Amino acid sequence: MNIVRRESKANAKSLILWSVGSVIMVATGMAKYAGMAGSGDSMNKLVASMPKSLQAIMGTASFDLSKASGYYGLLFLYLLVMGTIHAAMLGAGIIAKEERDKTAEFLFAKPVSRTKALSEKLLAAVGNLLIFNAVTLLSSIAFIRMYGNGERFEETIVLLMAALLFGQLLFLSLGAFIAAILKRPSAAGACAAGMLLFTFLLSIAVNMKEELHLLRYLTPFQYFEASKIMDAGLDPVFISLSLFLTVGFTTLAYYFYNRKDLGS
Amino acid sequence: MKVMELENLTKRYGKARGIEDVSFSVEEGEIFGFIGPNGAGKSTTIRTLLSLIYPTSGSAKIFGKDCVKFAPEIKQEIGYLPSEVFYYDSMKVIDLLKYSASFYKKDCTARITELADAMNLDLGRKIGDLSLGNKKKVGIVQALLHSPKLLVLDEPTSGLDPLMQQKFFSLLREENKRGVTILFSSHVLGEVQKLCSRVAIIKEGKIIKVETMSVLKENNYKKFRIETGSPVAEDDFKISGIRDFAVKDNVITFLFKGNLNEVTVLMASLDIRNLLVEEPDLEEIFLHYYEK
Repeated sequence: MNIVRRESKANAKSLILWSVGSVIMVATGMAKYAGMAGSGDSMNKLVASMPKSLQAIMGTASFDLSKASGYYGLLFLYLLVMGTIHAAMLGAGIIAKEERDKTAEFLFAKPVSRTKALSEKLLAAVGNLLIFNAVTLLSSIAFIRMYGNGERFEETIVLLMAALLFGQLLFLSLGAFIAAILKRPSAAGACAAGMLLFTFLLSIAVNMKEELHLLRYLTPFQYFEASKIMDAGLDPVFISLSLFLTVGFTTLAYYFYNRKDLGS
Repeated sequence: MKVMELENLTKRYGKARGIEDVSFSVEEGEIFGFIGPNGAGKSTTIRTLLSLIYPTSGSAKIFGKDCVKFAPEIKQEIGYLPSEVFYYDSMKVIDLLKYSASFYKKDCTARITELADAMNLDLGRKIGDLSLGNKKKVGIVQALLHSPKLLVLDEPTSGLDPLMQQKFFSLLREENKRGVTILFSSHVLGEVQKLCSRVAIIKEGKIIKVETMSVLKENNYKKFRIETGSPVAEDDFKISGIRDFAVKDNVITFLFKGNLNEVTVLMASLDIRNLLVEEPDLEEIFLHYYEK
């Protein structure tokens, strides 16, 4: 467990920054809602008057913005983006850094197998994701109580945070997989972020064009759409799919990392 | 007992040269030199032995066990010093050494302080702030702190000042006396001569020769450069053992192998203004082995 300890320590600063970012996002978001809540239905009318494509980009499609829950649903998209970027960069970085910083020669000259090192690194990373998720959950509950005009939907928030966690785990495994297969691991972080951006844009495209709806299986941002989760809970098909992909990427990461020549 | 046994170890990187059919073995308690010019494949061989990279074909055994299959197990007893040392820059020296020690199944605390004292290493400083020489010292302590049975040292002296080199060498001799086997890679013949009992010479990815140090020394050519006051007749130097003979103006240069007295007799009759007798450098020795 020495690598878990080492990695938790090494990533502590970045985790604090990301967590603070999440708290600020929730706090400012819900504070804005409080400022707007007095204007009643006018916000909904304003959004409805915007072109559909703009609504799709902002993710406002089906939320009642006069309610705190509707507003939080809109905010969740940005929390999801933030959480998954954090996870993807963490997954790529925690694996790639040994080669990038040329410390692989130190670590793997020690009596430790690649499998064990990878496991401990991923364990430390999952710990980080859980903390980020818990901070987001607690700050969501706290700021909705503060600004939400008395509306309570804490069970829904827990459900949304579960969705966030599935998303985080999926992108963590994607980042680790990319770091494991790339010959030049310094590009792993950028590559993982690029793939995340691509799937995010794809999700917007799916929202804009009905004909593209089959592509929704290709982008995790469709798996965890707040409006659907708030209406009908987690979709078992999408959750299974995301679990399947997470396990798949993780398995492949082990496979390739064990066979990789560690560059000097 | 053989501590290391390499059999036709081959590593190819696409078109770039790696190593080809490298075979040699290292006996227990030996200080074995692994020598060759930069880029010859020394580091590639060592990195393959440590399964940082995997062989294309062939195999190697360390402590009688396959170096890929049993990698984590055999590394319990290996200390490795890479040619270029890189550690986690944000860590303090002591934290890095403790982290390093945490991989082994023994308490290394006393040994860390002992080695740091011997190498004059400040344990409280951040790795990122250290000079190259000090980083190398961290590397040395890190390689020795768990009292391994086998030391693998890749160009260990680069970056160390002469005083530290001496301390390091005496440290290695001490370890060797305790029965530790050492693989010492270098491109400097002099330091290998000082320490090693046997050497393997590698060039362009292939082992050219495995030889005991004493034989290698006997085979050694001396390089002569003589400056004279008057021109010299080339025929005067027609004795056996001389090669690469050249006269330019009043300067004679040649390589000589054999009884040195024969040359001093010849020189006695010359009007010598300047005389230089050197060990040929490694490239010249390689050239000599390569031609055979």
